[in-house]
Formats: sequence, structure tokens, C-alpha cells
Amino acid sequence: MAQLTLPKSFKRSLWVFHLNTGSCNGCDIEIIAALTPRYDVERFGIKLVGSPRHADVLLVTGPVTRQMADKVKRVYEQVPDPKAVIVVGNCGTTGHTFHKSYNLVGPVDRIIPVDVYIPGCPPRPEAIIDGVVKAWLKLESLEGKK
Amino acid sequence: MTSKVLSSEELAEQIKERFKGKIKEVKIEKRAVGVKKKERETLWIKADKDILKDFVKYLMEIEFPHLAIISGNDLGKTIELVYHFSIYYGRKLREVSINLSVEVSKENPVIPTICDLIPGALITEREKQEMLGVKIEGIPDGRRIFLSDDFPEGVYPWRRDETGPDKMVRDLYEVKEE
Amino acid sequence: MKTCYSIPIGPVHPALKEPVMFEFEIDGERIVNVDFKVGHVHRGIEWLGMHHKNPLQILPIAERICGICNISHPFAFCIAVENAAGIDVPDRAQYIRTIIAELERIHSHILWAGVAAHEIGFDSVLYLTWRIRESVLDLMEYLTGNRITKATFTIGGVRRDITKDHYPKIRKTMDFYKESFDKLKHVFLDDKTVQLRTRDCGILTKEDAIKLCAVGPTTRASGVKKDVRVDQAYAAYGDLDIDYITPDILTGEVKGDVYDRIIVRLLEVKQSVEIIEQCLDNMPSGDIMAEPKVAKLLAILRKAVGEGIGRAEAPRGEVIHYVKLTGQETPYTWKVRAPTYNNLMPWIPMLKGEQIADIPIVAASTDPCLSCTNRVAIVRDGREQIVTHEYLHKLSVEKTRRLMR
Repeated sequence: MAQLTLPKSFKRSLWVFHLNTGSCNGCDIEIIAALTPRYDVERFGIKLVGSPRHADVLLVTGPVTRQMADKVKRVYEQVPDPKAVIVVGNCGTTGHTFHKSYNLVGPVDRIIPVDVYIPGCPPRPEAIIDGVVKAWLKLESLEGKK
Repeated sequence: MTSKVLSSEELAEQIKERFKGKIKEVKIEKRAVGVKKKERETLWIKADKDILKDFVKYLMEIEFPHLAIISGNDLGKTIELVYHFSIYYGRKLREVSINLSVEVSKENPVIPTICDLIPGALITEREKQEMLGVKIEGIPDGRRIFLSDDFPEGVYPWRRDETGPDKMVRDLYEVKEE
Repeated sequence: MKTCYSIPIGPVHPALKEPVMFEFEIDGERIVNVDFKVGHVHRGIEWLGMHHKNPLQILPIAERICGICNISHPFAFCIAVENAAGIDVPDRAQYIRTIIAELERIHSHILWAGVAAHEIGFDSVLYLTWRIRESVLDLMEYLTGNRITKATFTIGGVRRDITKDHYPKIRKTMDFYKESFDKLKHVFLDDKTVQLRTRDCGILTKEDAIKLCAVGPTTRASGVKKDVRVDQAYAAYGDLDIDYITPDILTGEVKGDVYDRIIVRLLEVKQSVEIIEQCLDNMPSGDIMAEPKVAKLLAILRKAVGEGIGRAEAPRGEVIHYVKLTGQETPYTWKVRAPTYNNLMPWIPMLKGEQIADIPIVAASTDPCLSCTNRVAIVRDGREQIVTHEYLHKLSVEKTRRLMR
């Protein structure tokens, strides 16, 4: 099993914006449960913010409905660079139980580019933290390349 | 509000008496659940669409009914709407569910609104307009509610004929053959 | 000269199926008119169920209608199909269904309490309540295998049994909740600032609640006695000793404001603990499924003809499913109605006359599902100025700070 080694100095603390594109809210409450004292990601500096303009990472849940498609694109453009997009849950990855419907315009990666996928229905808060850490490493390596 | 609670047999008799000729069928369903076998009563009524408003007024004389939802079926040549009411809520284990089903033809799918009697029916009537193509006369606000504004006109998702949504269906999980 | 601003608020608090978009017309700080637009989460679920799916395949779809009440929708669907097909559920399965449904009610009400506290500005209460909620999620994982989507219900019964080995942990969790109830009550109901923020705010009168067909704790807080568990016998509720919960049990009067809704939900948590203990004491023995072999069950359902409705009491109100079977593999019609659907109209009389800073707490007090993307655009004399949900939330928190001084 590969050990994930985080760099000794965290150059930034990740600020996360959560976007719901039509999900059943199961993944959303597991994301908020990751902030509560049992799993407590705030000790790493990961914080939920209220505006995409302050965020580093976009957490997207849900299969994208027709009404939300252009809103997703707008929110993606408002997140400043460097950014990472994480898709939480099975609905955003492949569509899952709703894969054949008349009001859905495709899994999230057809609308915006995605960096990390977290499967599960819903994924446990531990899995969400793992996914955010992977995105963090990716962001750090992007910074390092510059 | 009357203080006497009628049983479902008495209600069925009163309804048949009052709306003579317009009622096609009344069915009483009783199911017993649990260890103590308490019963749950449901009335299923099939009627002409003209008596819709009078039926609601009759229920309001007993007690203000609770409208749960209006369901819709596409039966080929006609569209069937089922109104799910319930009365006698507030009394322990005495609630009776009343389901009234009316049919409208597809050539002239018009039915009067009950929003003036039950204001809470607005959202469900708007949904029937856009999902089945039924025209509701007198509705105070006829905009779309669940479908987006750029969904094409004339496509009714619950219909099973040529106006159904089959051309709008996309399979998100397509596997393209190499 | 007065100018009326019109504020569109993008999907702020989604209803059970969809995030909701509001448009407020405000005059100064007071709201004059409210309009809302729903439909952002319309996934075409009923259409999915009516085509190419037999009733056993519809169960996972029904579960994922909402992640917070994912027991109530399969529950109502199973009752509807069992009524339509004439399948009798064994008594032990009814009691197990009741226990799991009440566990879900506890988790949902405590979740709501945390979200409501966050809207007022007490973030530490959010963390406290969600920490308390973790115990019931652990218990659900112990009994059913997963925290959120549990997949315990099937047509004709339940899939997993609750045996005597499980009882000690259930009783221990219930004792924990009996102790925490006093703590929660003290934090929410005895706090002066919470009372100042929520008393006489967002009032829904009894006549409006009846006329607009509101359901759930929203309508019980206005004094209307409507609760599917007490009104009609379904599952094991007909055998139990339960009653309607209205705010006058605690305070002696009914006002129909946000504070009353907090009271109703906290008292319902206590009621759920009592119901679970009653069920454990009187659990009958027997099978847990009417027909354990899946192939035989599908054969029964394929031949069945009939219509049925299934009503259940979700944490937010009445859920109703209507199923029509016509002797084919897929049901001919499947209609779902989630409780927040009926609670949308009451937003209009509740929000008229309130201040902008009260919008988050009043909208959240009817317990729609979670908060979502928020964009607020204030149009002043034609120039657009984009303001975020942070601003609305900040207004709400600042009002609390002013009251605390």
C-alpha cells in the first residue's frame, strides 16, 4: 500500500465550495458530516466557504439537470486558478440509477473538467477526506511545476 | 364540521344517494395491520368529471378535506386523473382516504380548477398541466413548475403516445462500440 | 417616493426534490411579495420507474429520491404495492419497519436542529448537534450496514432481522438520547437569543395551514392535528400508544411561529425514543418476509392487477405513493409526492411582512432539504450588483449579535 506523504509545510489551507447540481442530498450531508467534530477536517484548514470566488476546490454532487447545466459552467468560471474539481458520489461520475432520463445532460465531466472522482452512494466521510487530500497533492504538484 | 364520524359504508351510501347517476363505481377497501389488527379504510370512486366541484363542496360540508395529490394516467384515448383526498384527520385511527378518479378525453382535455375551494391545490394542478397536457380552466397561475423553460412545448413526459419524451431521453452511461 | 426592489435568490434551500429559486419584492427591509420557482432537481424519477423496471428494481430508485428521508419513500412504495397486489406483511416485519423509520426520524430532526442553529449564527450548536447525531448513524450502520442509504425494505417485509443480540446496543443508544434530550432542550428552548430571533417570526395561522394542505411538523406547530401515524393504522403504529405532538404540550399555547416548530421537532425526538422502546418490548416472533424467494415474488407481482396508495409519515410530513399494476412487468403508473411539495405554498404567508435577515431561518424552519448554490442579484435602478449567500447569512448573524447586546 502506497503511503501518502504530505509535504511538511502546507503552503495553503484549502477552501472548498460545495455545489449541488440536482443530487438527492445524501452526499451533501456526508460532506457536512466531514466537518463535524467526529471527522473534523477543519483541523487541516479545510473550510467550507459561501462563494466560489473564495474557493480553491469545487465539490460537485449530483447528475447535472437541464436547469443547472449553465449554472455549473458559470460557477466553474468564477473559481480562480489554480483550482481542482472533485466529483462526490456515483451520480456525478456515471449517472448511476438515473442514467436514462429526459432531463439530465450528462455526468459532470461532460460539462466541466474533473480532477478527482469519489465513488460511493454516498461515500463515507473518510472517503471524502481521502479524495480532498488527493486533490490537495495534485494542486501542490501543479504549484511545484510552475 | 359535523361531530359524528361516519364509517366508510355510510359515506359510500351518502355519496351514491347525492350524486345519482354520475357515479360509475364505488369500492370500499379495508386492510388490517399489526398485532391488534386495526383497520385502515379507503374509498375508491369512479365518476364523471362534471361532479368534481360538487364533490369537493360535499366533502367541505363534512370537514375541510386534505388534498394529498392528483395523480394522472394515460389510458390510450383518455387521460384519467385521480384526486387523493382524506378526511377525519385529527381523530385517532379514524381517518378515511377517498380517491376520486375522473376521465377526460384527449381531444378535449379540459377540467375545472378546485383552487378556489382548496388553495393548496395550485402546485399539483400546475404539474398536471405540464406533465400530461391537461388544460385546467380558471387556474390562477398557469406557469410551468418542474420542467425548465427551455423544455420544448408539446412534449408531455407522462404520456405514452407520440407526445411522450422519448426523443429527449439521453443515456448518460453510453458505451460506444469501437 | 417608495421604490420596490425585486430580489431573485437562486437555489437557496432546496425542497425535497429540488433546489428552490425565490423572488422577493421588498420595500425597505420588509418583504411584500414572494414568488418561487422549483424544478432544478427534476430527474424524471416517475418516468424512470414506469419504463423498463419491475417493482423490485424501483426500490433503489425510490431510496435515492432523498438522502435524508431514504426510509420513508421505500416504505410508502412498499405499502402501495402490497395494497395493490394484496400481499400481507408478517407482524415482525411491521415492527422492524417501525423501529427503522423512527431511527430515521431521530437523525433527521437532529440534523435539522443543527442547520437551523447555523442559520441563526450559532455554529457551535451545529457542531454539538451533529456530534450527537453520530450515535444514531452508528446504530443504523450496526443494524442495516450503511449510514445513509440503507436498502432494508423489500416488498412483503424487510431484508434484515433485528435479533436479541442487537437489543443491548439499541437500548444503550436510546439511553444516550434520553440524556441528550435535556441538553438539547436547554440549548434551544431556554436560550434568550433564540427566543428573540424565533418568537413571532414566520407565523403560519391555523386556517392557512388547513387551507394550504400543509403537512408534518410545520402544520402541527400551527395547532392542526395531522399525523399519518396516529390518523391511520400502518405498520405497527396501530398497536402503540402515541398521540399528536403540538406545542401546547410544553408551553400551553399555540402561536405557529418558528419557535413552535423547534418545540415540535424536539418533542418528536423524545416520542421516537419511546416508540422504539415500546416496539422492542412487544416484538412479535415470526418471519420477516412474506415471500423470501425473489423469483416467486416477481411472479406474484407480474400477475397482480389493482391500484394502491401508500402513505407514511416522513420526518418532514406525509409521503404518498400511488401505484397502478396492470398485469405486466412494470407498473403502469407510479406517482410520488414528497412532503415538502405541500409545504411550498405556506412559505408565502410565512414570509410576507418579515425582514430580509429572517429569510434563512424562516425558510429553513419548514425543513426543506439542504442548502444549495446561492446567488443573490439586487437590481437597483437597472444596475446589477451580485451579492452572495454569504451576505444574507451575514445579515442573519449580525441581527443575532445586535439582539445579544
